Amino acid sequence: MAVSSWRMDVPGLDGKCGQASRAAADLALGQDALLTNAEVTQANFPLPAVQNLDHFGKKVEDLVKPDHGTTTLGFIFKNGVIIAVDSRASQGSYVSSQTVKKVIEINPYLLGTMAGGAADCAFWQRNLGMQCRMFELKNKKRITVCAASKMLANTMYSYKGMGLSMGSMVAGWDPSGPAIYYVDSDGQRTKGTIFSVGSGSLYAYGVLDQGYKWDMDIETAVELGQRAIYHAQFRDAVSGGTCSVYHITQSGWVKLRGNNHYDLHYQYYPDGHATSANSVI
Amino acid sequence: MFMTRNEYDRGVNCFSPEGRIFQVEYAIEAIKLGTTAIGIRTSEGVVLAVEKRLTSTLLIPSSVEKIMEIDDHLGCATSGLTSDARTLVEHARVECQNHRFTYNEAFPVESCTQSICDLSLKFGEDGDEDAGGMSRPFGVALLMAGWDTVEGPRLYHTDPSGTYIKCEAKAIGSAAEVAQSTLKEKYKPDMTFKEAEKLAVETLKQVMEEKITSTNVDIASVKPTFRLYPVEEVEEIIKELTS
Repeated sequence: MAVSSWRMDVPGLDGKCGQASRAAADLALGQDALLTNAEVTQANFPLPAVQNLDHFGKKVEDLVKPDHGTTTLGFIFKNGVIIAVDSRASQGSYVSSQTVKKVIEINPYLLGTMAGGAADCAFWQRNLGMQCRMFELKNKKRITVCAASKMLANTMYSYKGMGLSMGSMVAGWDPSGPAIYYVDSDGQRTKGTIFSVGSGSLYAYGVLDQGYKWDMDIETAVELGQRAIYHAQFRDAVSGGTCSVYHITQSGWVKLRGNNHYDLHYQYYPDGHATSANSVI
Repeated sequence: MFMTRNEYDRGVNCFSPEGRIFQVEYAIEAIKLGTTAIGIRTSEGVVLAVEKRLTSTLLIPSSVEKIMEIDDHLGCATSGLTSDARTLVEHARVECQNHRFTYNEAFPVESCTQSICDLSLKFGEDGDEDAGGMSRPFGVALLMAGWDTVEGPRLYHTDPSGTYIKCEAKAIGSAAEVAQSTLKEKYKPDMTFKEAEKLAVETLKQVMEEKITSTNVDIASVKPTFRLYPVEEVEEIIKELTS
């Protein structure tokens, strides 16, 4: 993941942090004790009996993250937010699915993207959806993207070093306007205007940075997002399947595209790609 | 019942020799001091109407909350201690969200009502508030209006004893008796939603001490999603009533 190079040196789990995780675990088990005081993350469950928990956590993460192959991107422009993703899931070199839904519709105004462990992303973002709904009911207003992403980051931090694998963008529209936050399983949370996450993110960034302009019209922006994903799907072996594009405005998100990447390939290069394999001598 | 008041009326863990738990009965009395709330079920949806007692013109009417949303498909009208109602509603909301999270479906109305009643029954138990241990029964009754995916519209009534009853039409609060007899008289199983809406507000109007206005009543519907009516819409319904 390209974004992981921004990782800051954060001290890992200590005893207290381990305790902190139970609240989140309670929640997962459907116990209400936690939701009533969601921000309190006091809890206790036994930590792995190892000398160096940080080191162990890293090793576990490498073992359990089955699909790292992904390209997802998101950017803010004049007319809202574009989120575009591929749909391939892989386990090592094995392509296990071409039809994974990597955009998680948290609520009508919030989207999350999936990179890393599919289950980790899906589960915790559904969990985030639940927390957001509770926020809405309690406060009678929609949660901000800032607050929602922070809740996810807090959850991730409480499980730090325990093997979760997630690299996600939380994007949406709130009273302060459009916003995208990058949140990952290290507990990192960054606000930004252009993000790409996953093994194919470098390719996507290439296209994105080259074509991005603040005052694009919607059609151009959707096209840019789709093209960036297409190129990542083309070059990155573990990105592929279809390319879905979402657009978020003041009135919520809409899914605008969902094209098979083969179709896109022949649409963009009807006569074959100049640099594709068949031109290599 | 007050004739038999004696040392048994203080403990919540103790039956009187006649077999009563006075604190629960007193809690039910507390509801009779509360504002009137009415719920009517039709095949098209459920309507809730409540009276808001605005003791001063300096109060902001919208801040007096007697109808609360529990989830998309569930709302409730309250009568009695509003603060106790908030505890129950919070509990119900959490249960609804946990159910959605676990099963990816809406929480059945009866199950939600049951979970509220389970909590209502935990008075007198040891343990702190988080564990559900309360020193006294909740002094509130709820009308739970909801829409089940399979069974359709549902209306339940809960009281401080933890009892819940499925109803076609129900009135709670200070004017419950009068209102209930009106409902009994005028309710028809084949009512349209519009008729039920009218009956609810009409009944409320009849039992209210003050003149009914768009600010001193709240109306909500569940058909099939919960919606609290904005002031303009309440006004319209009242206008139709008087015309």
